[in-house]
Amino acid sequence: MRRLLPVLLGLAIAAAGPARAESLSFPVLVPLTGFLSLEGTSQRNGAVLALKDAPASVTISSDVIDTGTSPEAAVTALERAAGRNVAAVAASMLGTQMLAMLPLAAEYKIPLVTVSGTASITEQGNPWVFRFFPGDAVTKEAHARYVVEELGKKRPALIYQTTAYGQSGKAHLTEAFKSLGADLVFEEGVDPAAKDLLPVLTKALAAKPDVLVLHLHSGPTALFIRQAAANGVEVPIVAGSAMHQPSTAALLEPAELKGVCAETAASPISGGSPEVEDFTAAYRSAFNTEPDAFALGQYDGMRMVLEAVKAGARTPDDIRKALSTGTHRGLAMTYRSDGKGNMAHSAVIVCYDGTSRVPKIAKRYDNVTGVVK
Amino acid sequence: MITLQLLINGVALGAAYALVALGFVLVLNATSAVNFAQGDLVMAGGLLAVALAPHIPLPGIALLPLTILLMAALGLILALAAYLPLRNRPPVGVFISTIATGIILQNGATILFGPEPRAAPPLFSGGTVSVGGLTVAEQSLAIIAVAAILIAAQQWVFARTQLGRRLRATAQDPEMARACGVPVTAMILVTFALGTAYAGAAGLLLANRYFVTPTAGGDLILKAYIAVTIGGWGSVPGAVVGALLIALFEVGVSSVLSYPVALGALYATLLVILVARPQGLFGEAARRRA
Amino acid sequence: MRETVSKRAPTLNLPHIAAGEGIVAVVVVALVAYAALYASPYGLRVLTVAGVYALATIGFQIVFGLGGALSLAQGAFFGLGAYATGILGSQWGWTFAATFPVSLLVPLAVALLVGLPVLRLESHYFALATLGIAQVVHLLAVNSPGLTGGANGLPGVPGIVLFGWAVPRGLPLAAIVWSFVAIGGLIAWTLARGRWGRALTLVRDDPLAAGTLGLDVGRLRLTAFALSAVYGGAAGALAVHTQRVVSPEVLEFPVMVSILTIAVVGGRGRVAGAILGAVLLIHLPEWFRFLERSYLLVYGVALLAAIVLAPHGLTGLIDRLFPPRPKPLPIPVAPPVPQPATGPVLQIADLGKSFGGVRAVDGVSLVLDAGSITGLIGPNGSGKTTVINLVSGLERPDQGRILLSGQDITGSDISGWRPDRIARAGIARTFQAVSLPPGATVLDAVAAARLDRDRSIVEAEAHALHILGRLNAADLAPRPCADLPAALRRRVELARALARQPSVLLLDEPAAGLTDAEKADLATHLRAIAATGTALLVVEHDMGFLLPLAGHVLCLDQGRILYDGPPEGVRSDPTVVAAYLGEGAA
Repeated sequence: MRRLLPVLLGLAIAAAGPARAESLSFPVLVPLTGFLSLEGTSQRNGAVLALKDAPASVTISSDVIDTGTSPEAAVTALERAAGRNVAAVAASMLGTQMLAMLPLAAEYKIPLVTVSGTASITEQGNPWVFRFFPGDAVTKEAHARYVVEELGKKRPALIYQTTAYGQSGKAHLTEAFKSLGADLVFEEGVDPAAKDLLPVLTKALAAKPDVLVLHLHSGPTALFIRQAAANGVEVPIVAGSAMHQPSTAALLEPAELKGVCAETAASPISGGSPEVEDFTAAYRSAFNTEPDAFALGQYDGMRMVLEAVKAGARTPDDIRKALSTGTHRGLAMTYRSDGKGNMAHSAVIVCYDGTSRVPKIAKRYDNVTGVVK
Repeated sequence: MITLQLLINGVALGAAYALVALGFVLVLNATSAVNFAQGDLVMAGGLLAVALAPHIPLPGIALLPLTILLMAALGLILALAAYLPLRNRPPVGVFISTIATGIILQNGATILFGPEPRAAPPLFSGGTVSVGGLTVAEQSLAIIAVAAILIAAQQWVFARTQLGRRLRATAQDPEMARACGVPVTAMILVTFALGTAYAGAAGLLLANRYFVTPTAGGDLILKAYIAVTIGGWGSVPGAVVGALLIALFEVGVSSVLSYPVALGALYATLLVILVARPQGLFGEAARRRA
Repeated sequence: MRETVSKRAPTLNLPHIAAGEGIVAVVVVALVAYAALYASPYGLRVLTVAGVYALATIGFQIVFGLGGALSLAQGAFFGLGAYATGILGSQWGWTFAATFPVSLLVPLAVALLVGLPVLRLESHYFALATLGIAQVVHLLAVNSPGLTGGANGLPGVPGIVLFGWAVPRGLPLAAIVWSFVAIGGLIAWTLARGRWGRALTLVRDDPLAAGTLGLDVGRLRLTAFALSAVYGGAAGALAVHTQRVVSPEVLEFPVMVSILTIAVVGGRGRVAGAILGAVLLIHLPEWFRFLERSYLLVYGVALLAAIVLAPHGLTGLIDRLFPPRPKPLPIPVAPPVPQPATGPVLQIADLGKSFGGVRAVDGVSLVLDAGSITGLIGPNGSGKTTVINLVSGLERPDQGRILLSGQDITGSDISGWRPDRIARAGIARTFQAVSLPPGATVLDAVAAARLDRDRSIVEAEAHALHILGRLNAADLAPRPCADLPAALRRRVELARALARQPSVLLLDEPAAGLTDAEKADLATHLRAIAATGTALLVVEHDMGFLLPLAGHVLCLDQGRILYDGPPEGVRSDPTVVAAYLGEGAA
């Protein structure tokens, strides 16, 4: 215990450390361990890449702190980051952690820039949250509209994960399909620990659906698609955003992916513009891995913050004002707040042609307002 | 037809669980210590196979011996670092030291491999086999066969060889075994190596069909724990049967009801079994140290 | 894990003022100074979280450390308390004054409900059953979005409001949380040092012996389990007030693992251990945060190093570095002597018991008079120990009746005559394989026999020392039981049984392993005990010891009485000789 004291004291001194003028801090508080570490790492990489190219007028520092999976760890991380010239925070995409951080961010007056899809984070009346990723209201409307309007399917079966991601998506998909006149013929939640997905596939097919709609995490999505391919399932599959993640496709043979589509905010590896291709190349060389929509969204978000700094914003409040009133032409889409902090209003549907693991953009939905709730 | 398919999948899953539970119960019997890192060792075995695959472009069955060997070495390290220093201390200390080992393995894996889910190569071709109109994943059948061989090998070694007799003597009564000239510490090291090797084999088998992430171990240790308990604490055949029952229960109930219900029902059934038959389904085999 | 863990526990958990407590006091003062003078809001938050875990672990120490039951439901109780506060606070608008008591009551109610069936289970089965309960609660929370908000949880939990004062975060919140730790810690510390804690420790070390010493094992365990649940609920409520959100993470297994780790690394069964462990282990990962992704790897290594270097926890380490001063012995006091019984005290009629088809005891009848010594002999496996087990309630008879001073005390599920109740009615026993709690001193072990009747530990120890003195064993009092040779262990166990001041004393091979001189000494003591009016039943193989001592001898073979008469007739009885020497020799 005697050894503990100096460390404790050191900690206190470090926490109260001296402040330098014109240096701004952009902490990255994302889940690097636990079940969301894949998505959190994308967030981290996107934010770090964006912050590499800072305006010359300021010195930028950025701590990366793991938030794990608990709200407690997220709040502690925010408290740790706060009070050190923080201009804005790249914040966890885990909805529960955002909900926990929001009141504290309001107290400290720090903008949180996130790619969390959880609907409720922008419904708390908190002016400090900015979501650079289409919320479930947007993506799930695009998801359902593609199934009904483009594929002409009327009997969707929904298989979702019993996590925050899955339950929120399921609620929005149910609403969206209802308003489009295509009621779900089957719906079931799947625990992330479930190994064999043949039981749920069998049950879903027994309901005679004309399309299988997935809202599962990366591993389970790949598992489901593989088991469907192995069993020669002919019913088309339109998956949730986890499918677009390159690491999901890496688990499957291209042939198994034939005809599979997925909803997402963007698919950087699919290219589309020279800027996106530059981003993808820079990302690959920096992190030796493939970027996904979460990385791109977080990148766009932090770029918009840096644009504001470049334009003279020096305090968190300046940045909040810039984010809530400005428009930013990002790589994935053009961002503009709807007044609640929802910056992204576009979603895309990508499809795999069976020859490569890189999907093609099949349909783009802009200015989606989202169905009720 | 679909029932048969589900049955095969359930047995394949159960066979892999059985290897996990087997490794767990061997260490338990030899040391009366609960190895809480067993699930993370399975994950480590799976990722080891993933890492070996690009260097050895052969089917998974060729990687299996190497994986088993390397994991056995890891088992020795585990025993030296987390068991031997605590062997004369309260067993709950080993519980904590293996929890720490699990944390080290999990985070070491994240640093080395990243958080992405990975797939190990299939044991053979990875295709499907059609038998009389029934489509079965070849991997499922291969898992069942390999697990059966590995379990039979353990039974044979323990029943028929000098090493096996010494291992059993150590598990039954270490003081007595030592008095009879059995090198008890060496036998405990061998047991750890064996238990870890079985975890590694299970990892390789599971990581093709069900993928592997650094956090995959937590679920498996719970399954092994349940399997060993319902099979009768310390009973080797009981652990294998317990693992098969859990997998069949999981696949069976979830194909009729749903996954959350299956999981809830598993724990509810477990509680009923425990209250109605407190010595496990097949009776308790672990010796009670006075 | 109950038996295996405890049997090897060294001198932990002895209620003494250890140097450990002094060091804890220093640490507490340092922490208060740090919190008030130096800590940043971040430092205070980490300290607050450490307080939350300290409180949860203090509760866990009661059921796991003192009670020896590896409950894996402490995390579930934590989560239940968290959800009670979370739901009532965010959805119903209740304030702290209303939600906090509910957060204590919900886990308490669940613990009492599930505790009754689950606490009967031994060791690992109990651990797994409690784990199962925790998993079911977690599944319910995730899959009932209407009530719990599902996997997302519920935001908008209000902060703590005390008497109209909304406690702000930072120093005030840390102070409030640590006040709860202080109150909870003081209560647990007092309980652990008192008769209840001592009884619970005995239940952990040897549940069988605890029952025969008049302690209601089931009730003690249930109370410990319920009390731990209350602590868990309180900690969960405070956690939610700190993070202002409730989500299924509070019910996940890592919370349980943290609590268990804190308890073991801090020091099992000690309130100080819970506090030291929580402060250390909650801060530990924070110190390595700068390592970004590797910090948990380093945390794992540090945890492994901590348990290897200090296997008995931080308090164990402190006790080793600064050994506690031995407690001064109390002044012996003679316990009040009960009214001596007269005439037939114990009457057994037609007693029978089978184990899987084997008649272990078959129609045994006998009568013990006050002040008499009766010998019970017979070859190995003839049912002698089973008779003692049946009378003391450890086994349930299939047939027959047992009357103590005219009262039917036959053990059965319906009559409610369990070992502890039979013991309280006036029957004491010793065991063939002497069982004394390894971590206790001789005085502790003997005083344990008086826990159900004396008003305090001090009184129990004074009485125990007197009893030890009667057996010329007062000098053994401060020695640890684990260090005693076999003969002295038998002496201590006899003292423990005698401390019950029984009307009937059942002794299972009291002379085994004793030298001739020790046997003679023992015989003198047994005669003296009988002279006070106690009826003795002595199971023994050593005829040279038993026959001169006993006034009456029974010989059992295959559960039946072969001989019932004066000791002089035994050696010449042909059936007895045949039973001992085998059929052919007759």
